[in-house]
Amino acid sequence: MSLKSALESGKFTVTAEVGPPKGTDIAKILHEAEELKGKVDALNVTDNQSAVMRISSMSFCKLLLDMGQEPILQMTCRDRNRIGLQSDLLGASILGIKNVLCMTGDHPNAGDHKEAKPVYDIESVQLLNIVRALNDGKDMMGNEMKGGTDYYQGAVVTPEAVPLEPQLMKFEKKVNAGANFFQTQAIYDIEKFKEFMQYARKFPVKILAGLVLLKSSGMANFMNKFVPGITVPQELIDELKEAGKEKALDAGIDIMARHIKQLKDEKICDGVHIMAIGAEDKVPLIMERAGLL
Amino acid sequence: MIITKKRDFKDLLENLKNYKSFFLIGCSECATLCGTGGEPELAAMKEALEAEGKTVTGTLHPKTGCQTLGTKIELKKDKEACNAADAIIVLSCGAGTQSAVEIFPDKPVFPANDSLFLGNMTRFQMFDERCSLCGECVLDKTGGICPVTACPKGLLNGPCGGTDNGKCEVSPDIECAWVRIYERMKKTDQLEDFRKVLEPKDWSASRKPARLNTREKKEEKK
Ligand code: SF4
Ligand code: SF4
Repeated sequence: MSLKSALESGKFTVTAEVGPPKGTDIAKILHEAEELKGKVDALNVTDNQSAVMRISSMSFCKLLLDMGQEPILQMTCRDRNRIGLQSDLLGASILGIKNVLCMTGDHPNAGDHKEAKPVYDIESVQLLNIVRALNDGKDMMGNEMKGGTDYYQGAVVTPEAVPLEPQLMKFEKKVNAGANFFQTQAIYDIEKFKEFMQYARKFPVKILAGLVLLKSSGMANFMNKFVPGITVPQELIDELKEAGKEKALDAGIDIMARHIKQLKDEKICDGVHIMAIGAEDKVPLIMERAGLL
Repeated sequence: MIITKKRDFKDLLENLKNYKSFFLIGCSECATLCGTGGEPELAAMKEALEAEGKTVTGTLHPKTGCQTLGTKIELKKDKEACNAADAIIVLSCGAGTQSAVEIFPDKPVFPANDSLFLGNMTRFQMFDERCSLCGECVLDKTGGICPVTACPKGLLNGPCGGTDNGKCEVSPDIECAWVRIYERMKKTDQLEDFRKVLEPKDWSASRKPARLNTREKKEEKK
């Protein structure tokens, strides 16, 4: 089933994420993807994540399609100007890629080519508008094309951004620009997330709650300190600490499974986006514990 | 003003190794305020070159170095000193340096400074970049704060996911431009404008090399 049909059917939808490696040895990522086949509804393929140069998202999306999986092409505006972005969108379309996640992209300063010239000719809101135009058979300049695209386009939002209001105003711009679905930045406080959802429900879009697997209390503290827009509540940090070093990952899996279950049972949102960050092999276990498999 | 920084003197000496005598040109405008091309810097440069065994045939601190014609006229009184020099060293910005290149068609000209940005002087000899001369100003739509310059990504429609308590993801030393814009527009009651989508910028408006002729009678520069 396509991501669009899954979300529109009202099914609690699960997406996960794979990051193509640096270098052409793809044995590991192929194995991870294989393990997730038939379990998740769609798989995001990151686009030079954290501005670290790797295999292109589009190529790995094509391999996923060949495996019979449903890829979500992540597209950032960091490395391509408006000509490159549109050309790649057309290219991905003829390969059969149907889902695109439009994002601005981390600044090169975060990655391993800090001296790169950042592009940002276009940004996320404008990219969504471009996808809409391409779907209508026109390029962003209004030139008629021979054959348009048929993308199901998504975007990202940070429900716990500080300050929140400008973030929500941008969210609304993305909705108006044609975003069909949103994957959120990682959330850990379900009560707080409910407040966001109460607001987001006013808009005709599908929301997948972003969940990042906690592997240790150290990781949780690190995220609180250094990752913008993410807050891990103290009681979860305590839970990881109490589990001890050996069992911390297991406790993290429990926490995520519990959150997924609550989000699903209370029908808080339309699904989840699982970011296992290096522990993709644990995704089936998480889903099992959440009662999804 | 144009913000400049002195180049490493060793690198400059490397440029000068085949020449013996020099005429120095500063600038009374930006380079003086930046401390890179005023009277004291001209004197210091003269001294440093002489300490290296070079000769300085003369110096000029022109009114506005990038005004090519004016500088050329000012240089008339230094004709002999200029003729006696093997090369010209310019202590101003890249524009001032190229005025000299135009004025001296048959002498090598070397820059003593690196030109950095168009800046506001926030305090004495402290400069911030506020405008990057994009050719199509959006300040009317962004509460008077320029995101093209103040946001490292030049975003036009609100903060990215990296904004963190008012700080930018690129460096905690940078205030997130979009939080500043939001806060200002909130104060000035302009948030309705914040909601409007800004279209992709027309970068052809800043195509290089730019040229402008505002004379009443449009005549082509010869
Ligand atoms: S929008 Fe362009 S012209 Fe206006 S302040 Fe910014 S860089 Fe300068
Ligand atoms: S954090 Fe703010 S200033 Fe920095 S890149 Fe993002 S939007 Fe721009």
